[in-house]
Amino acid sequence: MRLLMTASQIRGLPVVTVGGGEDVAEVRDVIYSPEAGRLVGVTLNKRGFLAGRHRDVLPAEAIHAVGQDAVMVLDESSLVDPQDAPDDVGRPATERNVIGDDVLTEGGTSLGKVADLVLLVGSTGEVVGYQIDKAGDGRGYIPLPAQLSVSGVALVVPNITEEFVQDDLVGLGAAVDEFRARMGLT
Amino acid sequence: MSESFRGSSGRKVMSRASADELGSVGHLLVDAQQRRVAAVVIGSGKKGQLVDWAQLSGFGPDAVMVVDEDALRPPADDRERAATEGSLDLVGKRALSERGNELGQIDDVTFDADTGALEDLLIGDRRVPAGSLLGSGSYAAVLDESQEPSP
Repeated sequence: MRLLMTASQIRGLPVVTVGGGEDVAEVRDVIYSPEAGRLVGVTLNKRGFLAGRHRDVLPAEAIHAVGQDAVMVLDESSLVDPQDAPDDVGRPATERNVIGDDVLTEGGTSLGKVADLVLLVGSTGEVVGYQIDKAGDGRGYIPLPAQLSVSGVALVVPNITEEFVQDDLVGLGAAVDEFRARMGLT
Repeated sequence: MSESFRGSSGRKVMSRASADELGSVGHLLVDAQQRRVAAVVIGSGKKGQLVDWAQLSGFGPDAVMVVDEDALRPPADDRERAATEGSLDLVGKRALSERGNELGQIDDVTFDADTGALEDLLIGDRRVPAGSLLGSGSYAAVLDESQEPSP
């Protein structure tokens, strides 16, 4: 059983220092690498009444944990100028966004379109699945293999993914480990 | 002897040297890394003052004794200013695990009145050993992941 959350649930969460207990920023958006299957970082807003874009970004390496109520960092130095961040965080390529992409199995069945990312709660930003809009059939959740082909319009997943389509996050949390075992992943 | 933050709030603060009453305990400022009481905050807002723990001659059941009234000092930095404004008070503070999950609100804190060492944090019906405290600030007190509820 894994505790999961969607990327849209992360937006607006405070970024809190472990050592200081201060909310130094809040999450504006996530920066995702489909190839890596994980967040590479998050962009930030300022906290409080002076809300607005925060100049700094938070690279994934500096994330201590993504929780349900806060994104934890060790201290304020975890927030860095985009110039000093790795290129995929400081200057992310916008065409890498998978939202809206068609999810196709290797056998050619469309499972739906990507609606959101699903992350492992307590991790440093590991993406373990996608929320999908099933054609004319509401929302569903699919687990992700470690590697998959992504083009910017579609992504290709193994055939067995179709057996693992879940109705909710709890179902996906229970299915992730079995899916990974079936895929031969640890 | 064990004391609590709530129980000591409002206790009078006396000068050992002059026997004058200097004020009353507003709240206690902690050093989360050392897990101990760092200072007693007397009054609040612009008039708020601090007494370092080392300047106490006793944290007694009826009065907190300060060596003399020169030990009262204004806040020295931003953190101490935040303390006199009350925003660092551990009582009433949100508790977060280092994994980013809320654990509840800190209702009270117990400490050793002889040494100032923190003992337990009371969160709802749980007693969390102060050794789990990693950091504390205006937004939250952060506890280590051993305090995370198991899924």
